[in-house]
Amino acid sequence: MEYHYNDGVTNYGPFTLEQLKQQPINRNTQIWYTGLPAWKPAYEIPELASLFGSPPAQGPPPVRQAYAQSPVQGQAVPKTWLLESILVTIFCCLPFGIAGIVFASRVESRFYAGDVNGAVQASHEAGKWTKIGFWLGMAGVIIYLILVFIIGVGEFAFFKNGNNF
Amino acid sequence: MVIISRGYRVLLILSVLALLIVLYYLIDPMGQKWFPKCPFYGITGYKCPGCGSQRAVHQLLHFNFTGALQENALLIISLPYILLAFLFDYAGFKTRWPKARKVLFGFNAIVIVLLIVIGWWIMRNLFAW
Repeated sequence: MEYHYNDGVTNYGPFTLEQLKQQPINRNTQIWYTGLPAWKPAYEIPELASLFGSPPAQGPPPVRQAYAQSPVQGQAVPKTWLLESILVTIFCCLPFGIAGIVFASRVESRFYAGDVNGAVQASHEAGKWTKIGFWLGMAGVIIYLILVFIIGVGEFAFFKNGNNF
Repeated sequence: MVIISRGYRVLLILSVLALLIVLYYLIDPMGQKWFPKCPFYGITGYKCPGCGSQRAVHQLLHFNFTGALQENALLIISLPYILLAFLFDYAGFKTRWPKARKVLFGFNAIVIVLLIVIGWWIMRNLFAW
């Protein structure tokens, strides 16, 4: 079985059970393994219970329990980077923006199929490509400004078509 | 990447934005050599979906809506959508209204937006929009 844990920001894994026990997890760390419908705090995972001693005193069930039925309700969709990747596509770097959009749609479809973990991964990928596109575009603008102001190349043949954008 | 605290990053982005607004208000990009040009237009002679954005923003900042629409209609029309997307992503709207988010920015919305952009790209070159 492959286990993943989330420290509130990033997903880690996959780990075997033995590896997972070595990780810096505590009783409330969110754990997920293949087949589990939603992330659960570590103390609810029977295999890990021995790490944390006795279960907490009986009280109202933890809030997350209510969401166990469907990972979609109650958990926010990971950031899809849709808007940013569309803007990058239009304004600067088509291929990187398109990659961002593809991963954005993957975040959506995985999340609503219940694959929260996969959605988070797609979200990271979408963010990565969008950022690459954005900074490449920035670099392009800066290089252009340097050429115009410092070197004084105002009119590339390249730009003779006019002054669009 | 350099780690800057969230507050400072927001402040930085807002001040860059304010600077750009002042710049695009004061200077008409039309005929200015040093405003970045579209490489796609430079190479192919065809407009890209974003062509005219700088001039459109200039016109918009002067409340000349007709002029702005003539420069890049898609950008002007989609500004409310763009603004809404920022609110959903960064102002916590997405946790408050997850269903609205799914309709406005979900998988189907992504496909529709992509089709609109590509359609706009083709049409504006066919009809000189």
